Amino acid sequence: MNARPLMRLRLTTAATEVIGATPRGTLSVFPIIGGSFEGERLRGTVLGGGADWVTAPSEGTFELDLRVTLETDDGALIHMTFTGVRDDANHYFRTLPRFETAAPKYAFLNRLLAVGIGELHADGPVHVIEEIL
Amino acid sequence: MNTRLLMTLRVTVATPQSIGAVPHGTRRTVPLMGGEFEGPRLHGTVLPQGSGDWLLLRADGVLELDFRATLRTEDGALISMRSFGLRHGPPDVMAAIARGEVVDPAAYYFRTTPRFETAHPAYKFLNHLVTVASGDRRAEGPIYTIHEVL
Repeated sequence: MNARPLMRLRLTTAATEVIGATPRGTLSVFPIIGGSFEGERLRGTVLGGGADWVTAPSEGTFELDLRVTLETDDGALIHMTFTGVRDDANHYFRTLPRFETAAPKYAFLNRLLAVGIGELHADGPVHVIEEIL
Repeated sequence: MNTRLLMTLRVTVATPQSIGAVPHGTRRTVPLMGGEFEGPRLHGTVLPQGSGDWLLLRADGVLELDFRATLRTEDGALISMRSFGLRHGPPDVMAAIARGEVVDPAAYYFRTTPRFETAHPAYKFLNHLVTVASGDRRAEGPIYTIHEVL
C-alpha cells in the first residue's frame, strides 16, 4: 500500500485513571492534557480535554480508543479519533486515525484514511501518522 | 509504512435497501450474498447471513462505508470482520460506477480499514492486526485487497 507522511503527533498524558476489570478487559483512561503535531501540510497543538480509553483483554495487549481536539497554528480545530492496537510482546503499536474539520483549508482530512505507527517515549507516546494513498 | 498481503476478498452484493435521507446523509444498506477470500495464510468463504455494507453518503459527497462480514475459513473457523471505509472520486467516475461500468480503481479513492475477531487458535493473530484495504468496485460487488500493517 502506498502512503505519505501526514504528521508526527506527540501526546502529553496525565495520571492514568484505572477503571478496572470490565467484561471486556481492564479499562484504563489516559487523559490527554496537551501535545503537538507537525507535518508538511499542518501543524499545531493538542488541546486538553481528550483521552485514550484503553482496554486490555489480556496481559500486554491493549485496544485503543482515542479522541482529541487538534488546533492548527492558524486557528482551525480538528476532531481526531483513532482505534488501534498495542501489543507489547510483539512491539506492535498501530492505529487508524480519522479526522473531522469544518475548516475549508483542512477539508482534505475529512476525505482520507490514515495509519499511525506508535512509539513509546518517557514523556508520552508519539504517533507517526501516514495518509493511505 | 510497511505492509504485506493478508488476503484478497471478493464479495457479491444483493439488492440495496435505500433507507434514504437521514440526519447525517443518505443511507443505503447493501446485504452480501456471499463471497470468497484468498491469502497466503487463510482462505475460505463469506457467509451471506449477517454480512453487509452500511453506506452513508455525506453532504460533502464522500461515501462512508461500515462493512461487516462473517468469514469461514476452509478449515471451519469463523472470523468476524468489520471495516470502516471511504469512497469518493470525480462525479463522472462515481456515476460510471453507479451505472455498473468497470472503472479503473486508480481513478477514485476507495480505502478501508478492516479489523478481525476470532476465537479460533489458528487465526488468533488476526485479533491483533491493523490492516488497510484498497477496493475495486465491480457491478457484482467489490474486491478488496487487504494488507496487514507491519
